[in-house]
Amino acid sequence: MTVSVDSPEEIAEGRHLHGSQATMLSDTALQVTDAFGLRNTGFHSAPGSEEAEALPVPATLLVDRSGKVLWMDLSEDYQRRSDPSVVLAAMRAHFDTL
Amino acid sequence: MKPMKAGTKIGLAAFVLALVAARYWFYLAAEVALPANRLWFVVAFLLAASLGVFALIKRTSWLGAIPPIGAIVIGLFLPFTIAVSSQSVEANRVIAVGDTIPSFSAIDGASNAFDSSSLNGHLVLIKFFRAHW
Repeated sequence: MTVSVDSPEEIAEGRHLHGSQATMLSDTALQVTDAFGLRNTGFHSAPGSEEAEALPVPATLLVDRSGKVLWMDLSEDYQRRSDPSVVLAAMRAHFDTL
Repeated sequence: MKPMKAGTKIGLAAFVLALVAARYWFYLAAEVALPANRLWFVVAFLLAASLGVFALIKRTSWLGAIPPIGAIVIGLFLPFTIAVSSQSVEANRVIAVGDTIPSFSAIDGASNAFDSSSLNGHLVLIKFFRAHW
């Protein structure tokens, strides 16, 4: 599942480009982002989606069946994201044993 | 044909350096492989920008001014994006390992309502990202 500040229309366009099968949520008002405390309070450097006034910090979370966070990775630098191999390794470590 | 002015040659070199560095930068960005220490990128970009300035000082032909100006723009813009790329969250509000995720609702990409209770009983990977661009 993904959360971004894109509008549903922008998500529909992007999904077409990337072929993502995930549930992609539109969080233009950052309600979900704020619930997780992931609003970027640093310098707001990019335009982002036109409707969004702020942006989340890029983050990846693994959550178990009861809703508990098993693992998370925060990018303190938006030019660097969670490396897919790091996420895969974390999924193997945390999900395969459940 | 008139021989190329020295400034024009330096300007072309600056532009090539800026383009090669930028191309490699975007390649690494697409591969999610940008190094944590990007000092050498900053050095390459600033060098390209400085060479561009130097070329303009040495005088170029009219058309020859385009590559050094391009090198200056690329060379200064990318270090600027590095300088402003750091992010921070409010430490006392951010979710942590071991916490239970908050309940939330939102609209998905097909404009359907989504409620986090639908995640109960599932292993979930949640990815927060900024936006499509």
